[in-house]
Amino acid sequence: MNYGSLSIVGLEKNTGKTECLKYVLERLPLAHKRVAVTSIGIDGESVDQVTRTQKPEIVLREGMYFGTSEMHYRQRKLLSELIDVSDESTSLGRVVTARALTPGKILLSGPSSGSGLRRWIAHTQQHGIDLVIIDGALSRLSSASPAISQSMILATGAAYSANLTTLVQKTKHVVDLVNLPLTSEANLTALTPLEKGVWSIDIDGELHEVNGTTSLSQQLHFDGMDRCATLYVAGALVDSLLEKVRQHPTLRKCELVVRDFTKIFVDQRLFTQFLRGGGRVTVLQKSKLIAVTVNPTSPSGYRLDSDTLCEKLTEVIKLPVYDLLKEQQCN
Amino acid sequence: MQLKNVIESPCGLRYMLDELELQSGYARRWLLETEMMTTAEDVEAAYAVLRKFAAFVQQVDKTYITTLQFKLQKLKDIRTTIKNLHGGAILDDIELFEVKHLAILSTDVAKLLLAHGMEGVVAIPDLSPVITILDPDGMKIATFYIYDSYCEELKDLRKAMRSNPDEQEALLAQASELEAQVRADLSRDLRPFTASVEQALTSLARIDVFLAKALQMQRWGLCFPTLSATDVTRYEGLFNPQVLDALARVRKTFQPVDIEFGSTPTLITGANMGGKTVVLKTLTLCQYLFQYGFGIPAAAASITLRDEVHFCIGDDQSVEKGLSSFAAEMKHIDAVIAASRRGGRLLALIDEPARTTNPTEGTALVEALLDVLGNGQLSLVMTTHYDVSARGAHCLRVKGLENGQMNYQLVDAPAGEVPHEALNIAESLGIDQQWIGRARQLLERNRDKNPERHII
Repeated sequence: MNYGSLSIVGLEKNTGKTECLKYVLERLPLAHKRVAVTSIGIDGESVDQVTRTQKPEIVLREGMYFGTSEMHYRQRKLLSELIDVSDESTSLGRVVTARALTPGKILLSGPSSGSGLRRWIAHTQQHGIDLVIIDGALSRLSSASPAISQSMILATGAAYSANLTTLVQKTKHVVDLVNLPLTSEANLTALTPLEKGVWSIDIDGELHEVNGTTSLSQQLHFDGMDRCATLYVAGALVDSLLEKVRQHPTLRKCELVVRDFTKIFVDQRLFTQFLRGGGRVTVLQKSKLIAVTVNPTSPSGYRLDSDTLCEKLTEVIKLPVYDLLKEQQCN
Repeated sequence: MQLKNVIESPCGLRYMLDELELQSGYARRWLLETEMMTTAEDVEAAYAVLRKFAAFVQQVDKTYITTLQFKLQKLKDIRTTIKNLHGGAILDDIELFEVKHLAILSTDVAKLLLAHGMEGVVAIPDLSPVITILDPDGMKIATFYIYDSYCEELKDLRKAMRSNPDEQEALLAQASELEAQVRADLSRDLRPFTASVEQALTSLARIDVFLAKALQMQRWGLCFPTLSATDVTRYEGLFNPQVLDALARVRKTFQPVDIEFGSTPTLITGANMGGKTVVLKTLTLCQYLFQYGFGIPAAAASITLRDEVHFCIGDDQSVEKGLSSFAAEMKHIDAVIAASRRGGRLLALIDEPARTTNPTEGTALVEALLDVLGNGQLSLVMTTHYDVSARGAHCLRVKGLENGQMNYQLVDAPAGEVPHEALNIAESLGIDQQWIGRARQLLERNRDKNPERHII
């Protein structure tokens, strides 16, 4: 694996994210790589705190590095060597970094915010870490933001939707967002420094700020933008904004740029309509989606057919799809 | 008075602190908690150390400074751990790690400074006994766990754990009892070094602060002040770093000024936009910088020590507190008068007192203030727009417009001479001609009525 940081995110609780993390950790070659594991926020509880279903504990192998809170470090069930005490604090104390000297179980509770996580990752590089694996938070994709991790694995399953067709569609939507193409080099240079507001680049390549309002504002006006070639939304792309863009005679054909896929909060149907109407959406930063895993069982006990699910998903998203529990049973 | 209590003074002290290249959060906290120096010995000692650091940053290679800064970035605030150790608590792994980390860091920094003849400039206690306790295998790396070498029995247990993964949890429970004993022993052995560990923590913060101050001096060309033997404070080529930076961004330069003041009150008059407020801000800033041991933004400075510094400027914050700007200002100056009655070495800098009221009463208030405060009990520098009689004050004025260009120099002014350049300046700003022209007509008419009044 050549991606310096990997996020494992689930589309819903109980889609098998922790199983996936366990699967990856068990199989990583550690001989020539230094691997560190952490989570965004609290994770690794032995029982799922929302649905009370059994959750696998996180088992580390000897030599693995990990980041967790002071409190969970004190409760660790393995022998480990402290490497660093960081300035990142969580409700459970500061985040400490250590190396496992024996295999064993640990509760992971890493930095609680995306920016804290980013600082922690940058900091671990001082210890020669080759790969950081991040256990993403419940139904939050923010830790998979390319600003934090270079690559991701997406866990989906019956917990997200118990209807196979809906599940495939909804998963495809997320995959499509993750795979949105990068914008042009020229746009990257011009737009990357802009951290807020809505901006336009006209057909002459001139950059303008649109009304100086935020992307959430209802008062955003697109008057006099007939020469707009690229529209950049630095903050969140929401339904009302996309609807306005879609109804504008010029903007609907423009290139719509967002920072990364985690900034898109748009209804799937509206997004599809926009693309069908000739709209184009690109991103400034992109992470590499490596694989999709499925958990065909929902917490209520409902089971989808694993083979059909994997097959259908592979067909529409054109990426490897794994049912990890099934694979383990087969091995 | 701690630095954190005056950091928000409208004189711009916060900018100086924000622009300081401090490497650790702890050094910043330590600096904010330093007391204002009020004795000659403290000030001289502080500048003696800063001089060595200033010479050091001039002489050594930039990469060497970066190495030192990189080390200082690792400084952590472990005061809670030190307090626990001092109080007889048994330290846990994280706390033991922190002590070891600090011990190794302080040894590394001491070595770096020794290599450039800086040993002893800031005394760093020898923490090698602490390292020996926490590094039984002599690995010399800042990581920590309860090492096998601390306890033979623990070593055997861990061996068993590795060979019997199934019994790991039971063995782990046994091991943790042994580990607890080791922690108790280590804490007992470390306790005699508590004071040294605490001193090392402070010393590293001081080194971080001195290094940052020295680099700041180099960046802006700040000077070392001399301690004035009299009550006269004198600046040559005084400048304001924040205004200098702001002007540099629009490709303009700052015109430095010379000024001195002592126990005779100093009254500065001058045109609008003549930089009077900037002068007053900078004087306040410099007084604080001096008494907290920073470089001074001037070509040369000789400064008198003060027990208290009062800076009164009509700021908008008072309006937020629900006071009118006049009420806020009156209360602020009232506090200065009360302080002057208590005695002590005071410096009061008052910007355009009574500016918001009518000129008749305003002038009376300013003149009366000169009478009340101008008795030599405190050093007073005041700016005004009003035609006040000098009442024994030393009067300075901003040179003002020269061929359409502002000359910010301060020159001696005859008593009572107040420049009348507001209309010229307004014109140079391109303000509405009808308005300014009409004002001129009204002035002419008044002059005809009162020919003895001196109006341009």
